[in-house]
Amino acid sequence: MSPLNSLFKNARLALTDAQTALDNFAESAVDLTVPTVRLGVTGLARSGKTVFISALVHNLIAGGRLPLLDAAGTGRLARAYLQPQPDDDVPRFNYEQHVETLTKERLWPDSTHQISQLRLTIEYESATFLSRQLGGGKLHLDIVDYPGEWLLDLVLLRQDFRQFSKEALKRAKARPDLSAEFLSTLARHQDKLHEEFSEDVARDLANTFTTYLSRCRDDENALSMLPPGRFLMPGDMKGTPALTFAPLDLGSTQVKPKAGTLLAIMERRYEAYRKHVVRPFFKNHFAKLDRQIVLVDALTAINAGPAALDDLSQALTEIMGAFRPGKSSWLSSILSRKINRILFAATKADHLRREDHEHLEKLLQQLVQQAINRAEFSGASVETLALASVRSTRQATVHHDGVETPALLGTPMPAETIGDIQFDGEEEAAIFPGDLPEDLSDLFAEEQDRTEAEDQTALKYVRFRPPKLERTAEGLTLSLPHIRLDRAMEFLLGDKLA
Amino acid sequence: MTNKKTQHKPQTRRAPKAFKLDDSSVRLEGEFAQEPLSSEAVVSEEDESALALPQNNIAPEPKPAVSRWSKIIAIGGGGLLSLAIGLAVDSLIRDLFARYDWLGWTAVGLTVLAFLGLIGLFIKEWRSLSRLEQIDHIRDDLQTAADNDSDKEARAALQKLMALYADRPETAHGRTLLIGHTQEIIDGRDLVKLAERDLLAPLDARARLIVMESAKRVSVITALSPRALVDILIVLYENLRIVRRVSRLYGARPGTLGFWRLARDVAAHLAVTGGMAAGDSLVEQFIGQGLAAKLSARLGEGLVNGFLTARIGVAAIQTCRPAPFIATKGPSLSELMSEITKSAPDEVADQD
Ligand SMILES: Nc1nc2c(ncn2[C@@H]2O[C@H](COP(=O)(O)OP(=O)(O)O)[C@@H](O)[C@H]2O)c(=O)[nH]1
Ligand SMILES: [Mg+2]
Repeated sequence: MSPLNSLFKNARLALTDAQTALDNFAESAVDLTVPTVRLGVTGLARSGKTVFISALVHNLIAGGRLPLLDAAGTGRLARAYLQPQPDDDVPRFNYEQHVETLTKERLWPDSTHQISQLRLTIEYESATFLSRQLGGGKLHLDIVDYPGEWLLDLVLLRQDFRQFSKEALKRAKARPDLSAEFLSTLARHQDKLHEEFSEDVARDLANTFTTYLSRCRDDENALSMLPPGRFLMPGDMKGTPALTFAPLDLGSTQVKPKAGTLLAIMERRYEAYRKHVVRPFFKNHFAKLDRQIVLVDALTAINAGPAALDDLSQALTEIMGAFRPGKSSWLSSILSRKINRILFAATKADHLRREDHEHLEKLLQQLVQQAINRAEFSGASVETLALASVRSTRQATVHHDGVETPALLGTPMPAETIGDIQFDGEEEAAIFPGDLPEDLSDLFAEEQDRTEAEDQTALKYVRFRPPKLERTAEGLTLSLPHIRLDRAMEFLLGDKLA
Repeated sequence: MTNKKTQHKPQTRRAPKAFKLDDSSVRLEGEFAQEPLSSEAVVSEEDESALALPQNNIAPEPKPAVSRWSKIIAIGGGGLLSLAIGLAVDSLIRDLFARYDWLGWTAVGLTVLAFLGLIGLFIKEWRSLSRLEQIDHIRDDLQTAADNDSDKEARAALQKLMALYADRPETAHGRTLLIGHTQEIIDGRDLVKLAERDLLAPLDARARLIVMESAKRVSVITALSPRALVDILIVLYENLRIVRRVSRLYGARPGTLGFWRLARDVAAHLAVTGGMAAGDSLVEQFIGQGLAAKLSARLGEGLVNGFLTARIGVAAIQTCRPAPFIATKGPSLSELMSEITKSAPDEVADQD
């Protein structure tokens, strides 16, 4: 090869390189003009976040039935597909596996333990002439899934260690059956407060405290107000000093703790928690959201009784506090965008008959009323809705002994029981979950005068397996059925797809 | 599990219950046709339509009673008239028989023929009237279903709506969509809105076209025509045509009586909304569009006539459409007019 030849070749190579670089640049420049919406999906543990996101994405990608999402219903939705997410340091929402679990194994996917993200790109035809001419027709939807418990940590930013301890112990003492072990451990170590710090003691306290918290969260108690939120969902922070502390009984002594004592170290760790866990979350994730859906599992709370409902209401009010920070608060100083639509959705509405959906929605409204008033004040539009991201039941009527009972037809999860009937997870059953009371305040008041006889009429929502997917005549599997998922999407995204 | 309740709570709530489907004492309805044994439970899967509902709490509107006296007069008068006709025919046939037998028989044959024709006509008129009535019912039902957000009522009304269009192939796509919705959408109001969007929207677009066409034609022809009488005839003709076309479009098949009933309803509708239109939008229309009108007095005259026609068209749409406008607002006068004023002057100019 002559030198001249190779020179040419090199030049050509360089040119193609430049060309690709230029193409890439152009591509990313085009990409920059594509509007992006960041949708926050939150809710307390087991409220249905994972299922919601999986169902939403699946229905968009698989062209599911979403008649109330205007873009889909009028046939303007061209296609939707997953793309690499913009933030490289956030775990990806494991969509593929969750959907596989839901549709193939007919099991519910693993729940949220940490923050995760997914980018869905939606191509659509705009309904307005102008934006059709302007190109448009593309939207990046960044879905951010994060535990609602993390929002509850916002309270901690307002409290120092002393206040935090006081509040936490007050709550613990109100639930003696759950907190006995933690309280006794605390009492045992009480005299070591001002002694030299020992990791063993700290770990002992932190462990029993965490056990107490997770017991509160179990289905039969279904309590929600359990800060610090990261204790129950440590993710990769598990075992770090920032998560190895516990509230202490400080009495009313105001002495400043000496350096190196248990108290001093615990206080420091609490500060570390606020600094390294709470603030970064709000700064890096929460502050960037445009839209928010808060999922609420009112049914488990109803199952667990009035205390749980009351607690849920408190937790929701706290959560709302995050959406409407005071003008001079730390949070509003870091907010770079403004959340302008918030949807409160009561999930798992497929456990109820259609007639009761209205009651569920009313209950939800009651739970978040205060919160709603505040948010509307701050300019975000807020709605409430009862939905089922995945609909696992059908409505039916049972005629038995001459009595007609409304019922739900579905496959209960293995080991679920009603009365003395136990289910094996394979057979279908018709379930009547009990009547919701006409007057919802009954649900809050029931506890004191509940007799054994009444316990029998107490509501009981069994869990169902995800539905078997129907096939069309051509052998195509249909997408996951739902209740009002499309209406939720219309509220959250409708204007972006107009 | 019995329903034990203590005294201090008056409201009875039923206890949760479960029925296994493979239990021998539970059967899915439809699998067996016989009555259930007393110890058996039959589970019938609802086609989502037999849901127990919250009772609607909106009072039904009382219908005006038809005066009994006018009925009696009608029966008496009608009877007399029929007797008179019968008598005349009878004596005619007798006379004919008196002349020639074959003439008499021919007359009998013709009478029977006329009678059959009359019956046929009656049946047709009656059917067309009841179809109009049915459309009114469907509209009322859809309205109440949407007001109460009742899915059972909505499903029932949509069933009727789809039956109304069952023999119209161009609505097949909309009907298929709608059937899908009735299986999945759980809220009555949403269902009604979807019916509007997926089934009625194409019809609405066509109805708009029909009205536009007639209104344009009226404004152009009356602007050009030399005689007031021609104007009146044209306006009359086009308006009747609008009512007939729009009603046929929406599924009514008005015969003669039905057509006059419709025309009366449209007029009544106009009377109700007319005051309003004359009050504000009329004035607004013509001050706003003053420029076009000022071009020539004739053009202005044409526009007024077009406007009147469009108004009747809108009224006809509202009377003939088997659903209320809930998801959409329906065609509005100002929107129709601005389109007419846009195109009318050009056409007039072309023809001048
Ligand atoms: N029937 C039904 N159950 C649901 C639905 N969404 C959630 N669940 C149930 O709630 C559980 C928790 O949901 P998940 O999405 O994992 O909660 P997360 O902790 O908020 O992510 C699931 O395992 C299901 O049993 C729903 O739409 N329908
Ligand atoms: Mg989750």
